[in-house]
Amino acid sequence: MQNSTTEISTLWAEVFSTKEGSVHQCDSENCWYIDFGGKISRFDYRCLLKLKKAIYAMNVDDILLNSNKASDLEIVFICACDHFYILNIMEIIAFQELLEGTFVMLSLNHILHDCLYRISA
Amino acid sequence: MKDIIRIKSLISADVEMLLNQQIKKEAHSSSLYLSMASWCDRNGFDNSADYFFKQAEEERAHQLKFFKYVLDMGGTAISPDVTNIKNEYNSFREVFEEALDMEVNITQSIKNIAARCHKEQDFVTLEYLNWFFKEQREEEYIARRALELFDVIGEEGTGRWEIDKHVGKIHYSNEA
Repeated sequence: MQNSTTEISTLWAEVFSTKEGSVHQCDSENCWYIDFGGKISRFDYRCLLKLKKAIYAMNVDDILLNSNKASDLEIVFICACDHFYILNIMEIIAFQELLEGTFVMLSLNHILHDCLYRISA
Repeated sequence: MKDIIRIKSLISADVEMLLNQQIKKEAHSSSLYLSMASWCDRNGFDNSADYFFKQAEEERAHQLKFFKYVLDMGGTAISPDVTNIKNEYNSFREVFEEALDMEVNITQSIKNIAARCHKEQDFVTLEYLNWFFKEQREEEYIARRALELFDVIGEEGTGRWEIDKHVGKIHYSNEA
């Protein structure tokens, strides 16, 4: 994981980013900062998993094929979390892509840690 | 970069999902055993009803054991919905056939979790599952023996009464 050169990133390590947003990890606070939809939100472990579940549960095909007159906006409210998102279809796709990439990178980080610790043990 | 997810939870998201599915299966089995106990009681098979009541309690204990493990490892244990419980059976024999089927399915399901643990090298959960494998040996043995009583004793005449009398006496004594 590479650190960018801005002052804030000396504390935050970039986990994954796309054109639409980015996810940074803060080791000292044991949390992640998600920059998406025009705001930066802090997520701890539980809330990040809840966000992942909520975003993955959105079926883009169903939303696109839905012909009723309601707007295409989806409200993502996460229980016991300070943040919520109001997303249109393009933002849902972008958020899914961002989180998928994030969890791939976190898994990769886990594999690296697992290998390093076992070798050093 | 720290591995925060590993710090918070010993088990992976996939293993946690499989364990939660197992919690649901154990809860479903417990409810099915209760419905079997009810059917046996309604039809005059008192010993078999007692046997199924005991089995229902055991499955509930297994459910709680999995539940506690998920929580202890830092995961999220999910209290399951239990629906679609069959309450009527066509025959005394069918009850025991379904009981064996259920135990076989439970064993297969735990094997599936173990396979995933092997793939992830999650030796901690693998070791934990060993207790359940030993338990399933006993559960399948007893369920199989109970069903075999229908062939050994036969259902004619007082056969079903005799089968009911012997069901509670089946004991698995292999200490291996």
